[in-house]
Amino acid sequence: MSDDIHRWSDELARDPSSLVFLQLAEALRRQGQLAVALKIALRGVERHVKRVDAHDLVARIAVDQRDFDRAVAAWETVLTLQPEHVGAMKGLGYVHFQQQRFDDAERYLSQAAEVGGGADVTAALEAVRRSSGGVPIADVEGVPLSDAHRLFADLLIDEGQTAMLLDGNGYVLAGLYLDSTGRDVAQEIGAQLSGISDEVVRSTRHLDLGDWRSIVFETNAAVIAMAPATDSSLLVVAASRATPLGLLRRLLDRCAERAAGWLSGGGGR
Amino acid sequence: MSAPFGTVLETLTRQRGVRASLIVSESDGLVVDSNLRFGQDGARVAALAASMYRKARLSARAAHLGAVAFLQLDAERGRICAVGGRSDLVIVVVSDASANVGLIRVELLKALESLA
Repeated sequence: MSDDIHRWSDELARDPSSLVFLQLAEALRRQGQLAVALKIALRGVERHVKRVDAHDLVARIAVDQRDFDRAVAAWETVLTLQPEHVGAMKGLGYVHFQQQRFDDAERYLSQAAEVGGGADVTAALEAVRRSSGGVPIADVEGVPLSDAHRLFADLLIDEGQTAMLLDGNGYVLAGLYLDSTGRDVAQEIGAQLSGISDEVVRSTRHLDLGDWRSIVFETNAAVIAMAPATDSSLLVVAASRATPLGLLRRLLDRCAERAAGWLSGGGGR
Repeated sequence: MSAPFGTVLETLTRQRGVRASLIVSESDGLVVDSNLRFGQDGARVAALAASMYRKARLSARAAHLGAVAFLQLDAERGRICAVGGRSDLVIVVVSDASANVGLIRVELLKALESLA
């Protein structure tokens, strides 16, 4: 990847009007070099003001920086240029949800669903509708088990176990990740961990190992297991360091089965 | 093998199903030492495994999960296991999918101790 970045940087230096800025800024975004990525994307937008993908890129970088105002402005520009851009609708739905503007979130996600947004949009829309009462779902007792945030709740048997399902962009589709204070940090953790799958795919492809099935790693704070799921989604299961790896893998398998059923519309149970 | 980590790597490669064992610099993905079966491209394995381990480490740190010790990737036709976190060096094993990963993990952690 760093070779590509050097090559694209050189190309952009030679020809500042080149569209290679899209690949360069995206690669830098994936590497977490958000400030540089944004700078390059904004310069690209100045030169290619009608490019939908350039505005979309600015929005996605801005979301990674938690600069939601910039993201909203960029995605609204995308919709001006291309009114049926599903990615922009999903993005605006996500940002408004994060800002607890549930009506706006529902409006954009409904539009995305109407133009074929897919299973992740349906799930997000369901989550927004359940959240529109203004009370965090995690705090609500008696929420039906079909609730996206509680998808894995009955499979998690020990304190410290948690599971979440992410879409291909690292956004949370279902599940929770509770920190030690009980706060749901799934979005932050998911955004960070989802980038690993790109490296995994690259490694297995180049080493001719076939499709990847899971990755497990032990950290100081937890053991994490991840597996690919339907529609480019990613399942993440975490448990305390005391959890045996074999047990964690069984938990991962059970959550994967649940996620597959849920994503296919069967409810997963 | 006259390389400095030969004994460590030979022990790892003796495990059933192990195709390659390497000691890799995480920062640049270069091979420090390796014990490979015929046909394995050590430089490529090293670069990819180091990159994957580094990504896992950075992601885990950003997610406030702390340092990554052991990492295990399972794929259709093989496994990659890696340990590190004590220095720039990462010990990597590539094995068949049927290999006993529990034994490999134990040997990897022992090997990490011996490098410390």
